[in-house]
Amino acid sequence: MTGGDNWHPVGLSHSIEAGSSAGTRLFGQELVVWRDAGGVVHVWEDRCPHRGMKLSFGFVRGDHIACLYHGWQYDRGGYCQYVPAHPDLEVPKTFKVPVYPTREQGGMIWTSLSENPPAWPDDGEPTLRLRSLYLGCRVDAAIAALGGVRLIPFAADGPADATVSRVTDTLFAVSCAQDRLLVGIQAISNARTALHISICGRPERYEGPGQNHFLGWALQLRHAIERSGQASAALEAH
Amino acid sequence: MSVALVLYNYELDESCYKVRLALSLLGLQWQAVAVDVFPGKEHLTPPYLALNPSGRLPILRDGDLVLHGTEAILAHLARAHDPSNKWLPIEGADFARVMQWLTFSAHDLGVTLAARQHSLFDTPGEELSLRAASAQAIRIMDDHMTARGFAHADWFAAEHATIADIALFPAFALSRDFGIDHDEYPALRRWARRFRGLPGFKTMPGIPDYH
Repeated sequence: MTGGDNWHPVGLSHSIEAGSSAGTRLFGQELVVWRDAGGVVHVWEDRCPHRGMKLSFGFVRGDHIACLYHGWQYDRGGYCQYVPAHPDLEVPKTFKVPVYPTREQGGMIWTSLSENPPAWPDDGEPTLRLRSLYLGCRVDAAIAALGGVRLIPFAADGPADATVSRVTDTLFAVSCAQDRLLVGIQAISNARTALHISICGRPERYEGPGQNHFLGWALQLRHAIERSGQASAALEAH
Repeated sequence: MSVALVLYNYELDESCYKVRLALSLLGLQWQAVAVDVFPGKEHLTPPYLALNPSGRLPILRDGDLVLHGTEAILAHLARAHDPSNKWLPIEGADFARVMQWLTFSAHDLGVTLAARQHSLFDTPGEELSLRAASAQAIRIMDDHMTARGFAHADWFAAEHATIADIALFPAFALSRDFGIDHDEYPALRRWARRFRGLPGFKTMPGIPDYH
């Protein structure tokens, strides 16, 4: 599986609070997604260069992330700035974690495994979080299922047809009457896919009841994919 | 204050941890009696079987009362020792939801106990099926907290933390012990951060001090 030169979603913005971190994978490669105290999000290789411990098990303090094992602290650029066992050491620049380009758009955190990902204008459209779905199926099976579950508009009279459209290779839109959901496609591995789903529109319109309305659609979609046989390993280990 | 509360405790047992959490979060004083569960199997000896014929910890002594069953102990501690009645709401939907999630803890999360014991102590079980069933139970919790988040609710059963949150926390916090990472449960990560911030929160082996 390829696609490393594109932008890929690795989570909803809401899912990574300031001062917290979480692990994920993209094409099988382990990544840590963390947000510093100032609110800036970072996507790095999930591995401390010291002993190989996952940085996603570590902790965020201010604008640093620190490894759980020995407390090595890395700044926003991925450079180790402090080794607690050697407080006077001027840390060599070679103690560095690989960092990846990161942006937030459409209520999602995006990264690219390429150093030169394609330009992508920010449309500035407001969104509200729905949820992420983690599925034991391939990316193409997840995309194919998007149109298979009926989407009922949140605030419109009568039924309306839903349409699925491709925005980019990793972003789809499901539209129905006035409503539009954004679905970011994350290839966790060649057997596991995450769908990160946002609601387009002003929060005042959809907050609460609107989110609950579309949550029902998301859970039906997950159910349909897991029942289809495309995801025989739906609940299998990660 | 004289120590009326005695907990028969094994440090690595997550059910004992639930009671230690409750005692600490309620600000109570207690005395712990260390039980050699592994490898000694002391909890299966006659003196302990006299306290709990089921052969499980935790066991709590509160004055003349000897109690076993984790959820019963949590409910007793909250009712008897929490004058605010917040940890176990008196009635209504909050009470009902606490009972629902206590039942979930006692029943559905049993598989997570089995998965962890299999990983740590090589007790009988099939690793992959235990892990799959545990992941399914934990996902039910994540689904619930996702929906709660849409209502700006931070806790499982009420506007504030209850013994339901205490009963549910260890299965998620310790899930890496049995091979389930936190990557795919964003609503539970958020909830666990709130839980860790409660006054009196304590960790146990397997749950990092830092976060």
